[in-house]
Amino acid sequence: MKSILLSWIGSVCLVTSLGVARGAETAESMRKRGEEIYRQACLDCHGENGEGVEDQYADPLVGDLTVGGLSELIAETMPEGDPEDCVGEDAEAVAHYVHYNFYSDAAQVRNRPPRVSLARLTGEQLRQSLADLYGHFEGDAWVEDKTGVEADYFDGSRWSKDKLKIERIDPVIDFDFGKESPGEGIGAEAFYVLWSGSLRVERSGRYELVLRSTLSCMLKFGARDRELVNNHVQSEGKEEFRRSIYLTAGRVYPFTLEFIQRKRKTEQPPARISLSWVPPGGVEEIIPNRNLVPTRMPSTFSLQTKLPPDDRSYGYERGTSINRQWDTSTTEAAVEFAETAITELYPRYRRHHRDEPDENRAKLRGFLEEIVATAFRGPLDEPTRKRYIDNQLELAEDDGEAIKRSLLISLKSPRFLYPSLDADRRASQRIANRLALFLFDSLPADEWLLKQIEQDKLVDESSVDQAARKMVRDYRCRAKLRSFLLNWFDLAEAEELSKDQELFPGFDAALVQDLHHSFDAFVDAVVWSEGSDFRQLLQADWTMTNKRLESFYGSSWAPADSNASDGNRSVVKRSVNDGDVHVGALTHPLLLSHLSYHRTSSPIHRGVFLTRYTLGRVLRPPNAAFTPLNPDLHPNLTTRQRVELQTGEVNCQVCHQKINSLGFALESFDATGRFRETEREQPIDASGSYVTRAGEQIEFRGARELGDFLASSEDCHRAFVESAFEHFVKQPIAAFGADVSDRLTQSFRENGFNIQELIVSIAKIAATPPTAPPST
Amino acid sequence: MNTKANQSGTTSMKASRRQFIRDLGVSAAAANFLLALPSLGWAASGSRKQRVVFVFSPNGVIPKHFWPENEGEHGELKRILAPLEPFKNQLLTLQGLDNRIKGDGDGHMRGIGCLLTGVELFPGDVQGGSDTPAGWSMGISIDQHLKNKLQADPSTRTRFGSLEFGVMVPDRADTWTRWSYAGPNQPVAPISDPYQMFNKLYGQKQNRAMLASVLDDLAEDFKKVESLVSPEDRHMLQQHVDMVRSIEVELQSEMQHAEKSDQAGHAVPELAPNVEIDNDNMPQLTRMQMELLVNSLASDFTRVATFQITNSVGNAKMRWLEIDEGHHSISHEPDSNEEAYEQLIQINTWYCEQIAYLAKRLAETPEPGGDGSMLDHTTVIWTNELGKGNSHTRNDIPFVMVGGGLGFQTGRAVKFNHAPHNRLLLSITEAMGHPEKSFGNPDFCGDGALTGLI
Repeated sequence: MKSILLSWIGSVCLVTSLGVARGAETAESMRKRGEEIYRQACLDCHGENGEGVEDQYADPLVGDLTVGGLSELIAETMPEGDPEDCVGEDAEAVAHYVHYNFYSDAAQVRNRPPRVSLARLTGEQLRQSLADLYGHFEGDAWVEDKTGVEADYFDGSRWSKDKLKIERIDPVIDFDFGKESPGEGIGAEAFYVLWSGSLRVERSGRYELVLRSTLSCMLKFGARDRELVNNHVQSEGKEEFRRSIYLTAGRVYPFTLEFIQRKRKTEQPPARISLSWVPPGGVEEIIPNRNLVPTRMPSTFSLQTKLPPDDRSYGYERGTSINRQWDTSTTEAAVEFAETAITELYPRYRRHHRDEPDENRAKLRGFLEEIVATAFRGPLDEPTRKRYIDNQLELAEDDGEAIKRSLLISLKSPRFLYPSLDADRRASQRIANRLALFLFDSLPADEWLLKQIEQDKLVDESSVDQAARKMVRDYRCRAKLRSFLLNWFDLAEAEELSKDQELFPGFDAALVQDLHHSFDAFVDAVVWSEGSDFRQLLQADWTMTNKRLESFYGSSWAPADSNASDGNRSVVKRSVNDGDVHVGALTHPLLLSHLSYHRTSSPIHRGVFLTRYTLGRVLRPPNAAFTPLNPDLHPNLTTRQRVELQTGEVNCQVCHQKINSLGFALESFDATGRFRETEREQPIDASGSYVTRAGEQIEFRGARELGDFLASSEDCHRAFVESAFEHFVKQPIAAFGADVSDRLTQSFRENGFNIQELIVSIAKIAATPPTAPPST
Repeated sequence: MNTKANQSGTTSMKASRRQFIRDLGVSAAAANFLLALPSLGWAASGSRKQRVVFVFSPNGVIPKHFWPENEGEHGELKRILAPLEPFKNQLLTLQGLDNRIKGDGDGHMRGIGCLLTGVELFPGDVQGGSDTPAGWSMGISIDQHLKNKLQADPSTRTRFGSLEFGVMVPDRADTWTRWSYAGPNQPVAPISDPYQMFNKLYGQKQNRAMLASVLDDLAEDFKKVESLVSPEDRHMLQQHVDMVRSIEVELQSEMQHAEKSDQAGHAVPELAPNVEIDNDNMPQLTRMQMELLVNSLASDFTRVATFQITNSVGNAKMRWLEIDEGHHSISHEPDSNEEAYEQLIQINTWYCEQIAYLAKRLAETPEPGGDGSMLDHTTVIWTNELGKGNSHTRNDIPFVMVGGGLGFQTGRAVKFNHAPHNRLLLSITEAMGHPEKSFGNPDFCGDGALTGLI
């Protein structure tokens, strides 16, 4: 999908003279005429549906010629021996018929009904599954509403119960105590600060953690004893510690940070410390308050192995490609996980089972049995246990080597890599497998869920409902939902944003990062509010803001509670209400600046986005690329006038009539998404229109009316529901029944457009389908 | 691949290695014969492979039972050095070298932290004894310096450039536990776990061998799970298992190739299983690490290594010598405490036995693709943080060299008159083909490299 949309960038549509220009009706009647000719002249050799005829022309009529190419071919070569019998419009007609009905890729997909097809774990699913496999032994994070870091300040340079002077929650870690005491009752010469909490990660990717400290400091991250920075020794000049680490979305990484001023004979350095990060594609910043949780969550695992990207051609990731690169990465992932299992999981397992007998390596067997059964999503039968555990143990005398062998083969096994190979499992297991896959991109590993499976509880609907609800609130599902919404707003892979610095001074990388925080916080505020009302995404008259955003975007971006300012620039808060400037996420500058050029807005990009993503309509990709008109060559034209000039041709208008009239409604926002009333000293014309699937013509003026329309539009509701379904389930919605889309859209509307409810419904429908029958 | 076949493959690998080592008996004798020849002037030829291994032991020695009485050709070695008797011809003792680095940090900290760096410690907050506190070293250590030099030249470049072994180095990073530095404020942590070191050296190779041996089992299971999917989906599993089979074939041929190269002396060493990192296992851990070291040198993974046994102030309890008290505690006892004095001799003798073992392993391994034994091309430099434990002196720092890597004239004792040890560091880098004007604190380098070593 992305690649198709990309081809729009910098281009407008050129329509060939064939067919489409004459309107859809013409194309249809043309196909009809083509069919008549085909039946007379072609069917004998090519068969009823182009499948071929033995002894005549046996190969099926499929290929990738365009309609034009195909009609040329027919005109020149067909029927065999008498090519002059079918030329000109006749050839064109036949080409249209053949192309549409069975020749083209599109026709083949159309003729093959959608089904739930086998898929291996995607890269993200592999990461998530391994994290839960680890979590099975360590416990799972719970949702914590508080943000910040727990801080204990001690007098004296070490932990001592009696010398604990301050206990509080610090919003972020960024302090400069200089040569002063960090707080009351604490000596400036010797103190000890212990911060503990967790880092909540919303997006998978490579992060750089940056710890700056002028004093002795130790950072443990991800697990109790996992040292990330060991600066026990303070040494002059060594004050910056950078660590690159891949973190997984929806995971919460526990950490402790110790900061120690030691008394000494020599001069002490001033005490300064900060904990920052560089998020994927972002710039360095103090780790924001909203990503910090003041509780130490259970240890967790984040795969560092690089995995190849998955196929996204359907708009969602699918694990369909089987190749060497992927295979190598699964080997590396298995080895990496095994090494962590050897150093962290197995020693702890042994401690927990200290008092049990260990004859014939019973503990090692018990450990592997538990881990492999979790990975295989269900108990092991005798041959499977023998293959994956006993055989491997026999070949390795060293425990570490035995674990590595067993996990290497297990984590490369189809029983782990293909989550739907469970037709032989009990119903509760199958349902739990799907709930975990759809909601967490993972496998069932949480204790409560495994208990439900064991007791075969998930056979009744209310238990499934309860389980799905519980899971939707989990951090793992929240992360998946966030990634879906980023997809739906086409921001998932938004490239680096930059704008003309002369026209837009202040629009820099730091501001863009704040826009990301604002967008994330806005979406969170909508989705996790009580109503979880989808329409707010398209209608809310407020946004989330901070000081930098306010100073760039103006007074509509002031915080609602002007006293709330705590001096921390990165903390985003709810803004004042302004129904013209804020129209849900539609007018969010992150979106609108993405859908703009370097200097000017782009109504075409905006219109294409609204058509395809928000309204779920299909647009043909342009047949040729056009460079947009240079604004400098048309100094008197507004952006709208320039776009109208360039796409005014009748051929362009076929598509651009639809595209432009949606995109123009957002013209009150410039290339940075800043609200404007004029452009080039002319008032903005933000009037637009849309023809619904049902054929109704809708008019609107400006973003507010557009947002209000979309929030009530059935096209938009359906687009959201289908897109959500496919993002979560990673299979075509129609494969679960022709009416699933209708049913879900209907219940979405009836439930007050509650997003959380929608996800619960999707999970339930997809987890309890008439499952793919085992083969016979 | 048939698992049984693979197993026997492993066995034959082992057997071939043993066979190989047996064969060495002859080669080692031949090597000794070669050594008796006067000319060790290989240093002149640019292509000669040279290696250097620095070995650390803590808390000083008992000088009276350590240093040879006289300069010149070795007579009977003193008690502590006696284990090196078989390598006397390749033994060079350097007495009279002082670690003169002053500044922040206590004697132990400067003892270890300035030993290979020859430069002061930064101001910091680690306080020991009654001296001022300190941080990390202000400069690079000689091993890392050599690594950088050798890696910059394609003809001496190796897979790792340097390896940092440890034995029972405590799991904490401070000035007392680090002697190798990649640069100012950049201590290099040694690897004390032989399994971890094994992984670093052979992990990939071992993983591939392991993968090769599980693929057959794995492919078989694909057949079983096929029944769980619809016929339309089977082609995906089929495609997957076909790939597994083709990888298996490739790995098999890779393993066969590897076996041939193993027979040529590059076998993956076998470690005893399930050895805990524990004080009482220190002798075994030392052997395991030395085995890995010798193998890494033989395979030319590196030409520079450090081998740090415990740490500055190291407090190993050598129960295997029936000494229950920690080494550092004993080292503070006055010479008049006869029991402690005797124990310290025994402890240091044990350390010397480790050096002798390493020398033996090198001596019995023929130089791959070269003349003589590996010891002829390797210098083991055994050194210590202190000259003597109870005085904490950093005068007369023990520098005991075994082997011909540096091309120094061996078989003798040399005595200097309080020369700064920086000059020895200069001699080492010069002998490795990369002479420098100064190393560490330039104030101690005015007289240049030591003279009379070659």
